[in-house]
Amino acid sequence: MTKEEIFNKIAAIIADRFEVDQSTVTNEINLEQDLDADSIDFVEFVLELEDTFGSEISDEDAEKLNTVGEVVDYIAARQAK
Amino acid sequence: MINMVKIAIDAMGGDYAPEAVIEGVEQARDLFEDTVFLLYGKREVINQHLKNRDRIQVINADEVITMEDEPVRAVRRKKNSSIVMAATAVKEGQADAFFSAGNSGAVLAAGLFIVGRIKGIDRPGLVTALPVVRNAKQSNFVMMDIGANADSKPVNLQQYAVLGTYYAERMMKAQSPRVALLNNGTEDDKGNKVHKAAFELLQQTADINFIGNVESRDLLNGVADVVVTDGFTGNAVLKSIEGTARSMLGLVKDAVYNTGVSGKLGGLLLKNGFNQIRSQMDYSQYGGAVLLGLKAPVVKAHGSSKATTIVNTIRQIRQMVATDIVPGVAAYYANQQANQQASVDKSVEND
Repeated sequence: MTKEEIFNKIAAIIADRFEVDQSTVTNEINLEQDLDADSIDFVEFVLELEDTFGSEISDEDAEKLNTVGEVVDYIAARQAK
Repeated sequence: MINMVKIAIDAMGGDYAPEAVIEGVEQARDLFEDTVFLLYGKREVINQHLKNRDRIQVINADEVITMEDEPVRAVRRKKNSSIVMAATAVKEGQADAFFSAGNSGAVLAAGLFIVGRIKGIDRPGLVTALPVVRNAKQSNFVMMDIGANADSKPVNLQQYAVLGTYYAERMMKAQSPRVALLNNGTEDDKGNKVHKAAFELLQQTADINFIGNVESRDLLNGVADVVVTDGFTGNAVLKSIEGTARSMLGLVKDAVYNTGVSGKLGGLLLKNGFNQIRSQMDYSQYGGAVLLGLKAPVVKAHGSSKATTIVNTIRQIRQMVATDIVPGVAAYYANQQANQQASVDKSVEND
């Protein structure tokens, strides 16, 4: 999967979950500050990422993910392994 | 063929697990012929206590989430635990409902993260039925949220009002249930910012019968059918009701038995009365607390549950499945969203 494909999938998840227009999702968006995600939203989002991309994301790794771009890079790096 | 109700049960949860859970499940199996039980836990331990396997499937779960485990982390890590496996069975459609008397936080986390929310519900809340006393017209009411979310926004309270209305209508057979907001006074402008905003929002909500604010001292008199509150307040109020009832009964007992022989004789005569009060105040007769707003019934019974409470909770779950509470709420919110979309489309057309 290319980075662009990963981004598009993540943008679709965010649009659905946080009720924003998919076209407004950018790499710079901060999940907590820009999307007003609380801890429950964040865990749900991480679980959906696991389901979508088929690999487990540890709590330690998840804590380091703040922006959409960081999530895309993380998933891309995991898939390259 | 009749449609069988399938309930996924955490056999390892609760102070008296697995014995009390298994005993309760066997009693329920004998009572309810249309119900199948999926029991999750350590197979060899369950098998030791199980007398008859008719309509009971045992599914081995190697791990157990203990009361000491941090809930969200445990649900994420202990994939082979009875709680996670039972909740997953519901998610995958193998069971209609999930029930546990174990670690409350883990049951809530498994419900929220594994079973998942109904689309349109921001935060599910815990609902329980409580007794109404000295009122011939009403025997109970429901209160929500009693502790799933410590912080609530006005929109969460509005959703509890809708969810509670469905629960009261279908489980308590209340007609057009009266919804009230628990507040620090009955006047319309009482409360903090959240409560004032929630009051306005509830007043504007069609489809519910909002009657205004109520105070906690009036709850047990039947002042409403659905009492809406944030989880922090709801939990504190629930525990103060429980504690006060217990202390008062203790005081009355002391007074009776400390008045010598005549008091003791009188006490004997009053014994049935005391027992009646105790059983009327015992809300475990209505089953467990339901995490409402999820895609399937998720029910948490008290950690100290014995077989009778397990049976009552299974009765409650069957009724929830039979009265289609979850599909009812899901259809309500799907409809709301469709209406919102339609009004957005209309305003675009008019632009």
